[in-house]
Amino acid sequence: MAGRSPDFLLMTNYQFSASQTLRHITLILGSLIVILPFYVMVSYSLKSPGEIERNEGGFFGTQAPMVDERCVKRGEPDQAAIKAARPSFPTLSNREIYEGLMVNVRKNCTKSPIAFNYGMAFTEAPLLRYLLNGVIVTFSIFIIQIVIALPCAYALSKLQWRGRDFIFGCVIFCLLIPVHAIALPLYIMLSKVGLTNTYAALVIPWTISVFGIFLMRQFFMTVPNDLIDAARIDGMTEFGIVWKVMLPTAIPALLAFAIFSVVAHWNDYFWPRIVITGDRDLFTPPLGLREFKGDGDGSFFGPMMATATVIVTPLIVAFLLAQRRFIEGITLTGMK
Amino acid sequence: MYSRALFAGYWFAAPAILLMIIILIVPVLIAAYLSFTDYSLGNPDINWIGIQNYESLFNRSSYKKMFSASLIYVGITAPLSIGLGLGAALLINSLKHFKDLYKAIYFLPVMAALLAMAIVWEFALHPSIGIINKTLSLGCDSWLESVRWYARSCATGFPQWLGDKSFTMATICFIGVWQGFGFNMVLYLAGLTSVPRELYHAAEIDGASSAWDRFRLVTWPMLGPTTVFVVTITMIRSFQVFDTVEALTQGGPVRSTYVMMYGIFEKGIQQNLIGIGSAITMVFLAFVLLLTLIQRWLVDRRTFYS
Repeated sequence: MAGRSPDFLLMTNYQFSASQTLRHITLILGSLIVILPFYVMVSYSLKSPGEIERNEGGFFGTQAPMVDERCVKRGEPDQAAIKAARPSFPTLSNREIYEGLMVNVRKNCTKSPIAFNYGMAFTEAPLLRYLLNGVIVTFSIFIIQIVIALPCAYALSKLQWRGRDFIFGCVIFCLLIPVHAIALPLYIMLSKVGLTNTYAALVIPWTISVFGIFLMRQFFMTVPNDLIDAARIDGMTEFGIVWKVMLPTAIPALLAFAIFSVVAHWNDYFWPRIVITGDRDLFTPPLGLREFKGDGDGSFFGPMMATATVIVTPLIVAFLLAQRRFIEGITLTGMK
Repeated sequence: MYSRALFAGYWFAAPAILLMIIILIVPVLIAAYLSFTDYSLGNPDINWIGIQNYESLFNRSSYKKMFSASLIYVGITAPLSIGLGLGAALLINSLKHFKDLYKAIYFLPVMAALLAMAIVWEFALHPSIGIINKTLSLGCDSWLESVRWYARSCATGFPQWLGDKSFTMATICFIGVWQGFGFNMVLYLAGLTSVPRELYHAAEIDGASSAWDRFRLVTWPMLGPTTVFVVTITMIRSFQVFDTVEALTQGGPVRSTYVMMYGIFEKGIQQNLIGIGSAITMVFLAFVLLLTLIQRWLVDRRTFYS
């Protein structure tokens, strides 16, 4: 890290510094507020509805086994079940058989709050499907963005053709247009060609990343021309040069762009909300969570927080593993 | 070989140009056109109604409220998240230990899906079982009651952060600041690494002894380009606020959080009033364009003088 001062390496000066301590206190207080919702999210996803309601049990809750009432309701013995059990207990009344069966059902429906919350998250709504959709959409968007942007960036930086400067001007101009802002006309266009409620609708508006073109072009400008000329003398086609010469040199920039793109689209809620209406099979993770919230009652706090945890965790873990790369990627927009 | 490269140029740029036209430029033109009509999806005819949509946008009180909600949101969220971002960056930069730890913590909200975190905040802020109000009520019967607001809240209950008109916008802004300031922090940290150390020594020799003087004379001017960029991008991002509003307030109570993106969504998509939705879209684009032009102008002026 460029900003690390040499004092950090000479750990010898351990004297107490009032100003340093004060700074740490301020930053720790700030950290507490920043972390608070993450704490609430994970903690609630571990606790039983009662513990959430009464705000007790600390972070992990007591993990005392709890009875899942919905599961009990589903498993409640009906007339047929009682009839089926009749021959085994000839001496008992219907009522008693019912009670006996219920004891079993309650036992089978008793689980730890963690199992209840996370189990509900995956069974109450097709969360796995949502996650898969999220992966499909973010991945397709990124791949298409690269396939479109890379050749264009190469053409704008390393090839001579008439109109090149004009097109680059257009790219700069289009940087001004936030795709979210033109969501309404895009939605109209997609619905005119009957593409709403499809994967295509989720992906198409993001296939062109003018920012990606701009970024890659700036990066390619720094690649020496000799490299390209050498490849041409070796008989490579221009197409080959883009993918076999330029692409490998651009890996660092590409990685940063990948992070930028994946984070933006995994977390995006606005666009999916507009083009996906009702068809659960196409829901992305944020849409799924929103629907969960929409029809949840009080006992759903735990499962909802479990869903939120599942959705948020992949990126947070990836971020913690590769902090520097992520910060670079996300703040890419800060490059001039 | 040269002509080969010439044709390759067109071929390579063609898909991008085509998509740029279809996905970015055509929609702007469509919105511009539709904003002068009374079009709605499924309706076969389009009537040209002139500037009627814009007239109602600027005259009707409900739309005036929309603009003011957006401006209030940007006016609160942008300065706070820029100020806190700068403050955090300066503090972290001056530390001897644990820089990376704080940086990672403050950056967490930027990574997390805003919609998910908005819902978590809603729970945390829940009037009866939320952790915030529960924690606040622990302070009752203590010295904290000497604050009048606190004593009153202990007696009558702590605020409904998302249901009470006088708190909702502040709460939505708070979530916006919480989510966004870490982003500004890393931009400022990057800016700070490019401030040459010699400048501080020079300033000290010239008599800038206090930390405030060093900040005022060296750090702040050197961060100028970063600030121009941070201000623009934060304002544009704040104008686009949607997730928190849609999930937590639906523009309410009494339209106090009815921001422009939510207006486009509700009018244009949900109520199928495409004309008015397009008009809001155009005003929105005008705002963004204006902000960017101001930024460019500031950047140009700067490079001219230095």
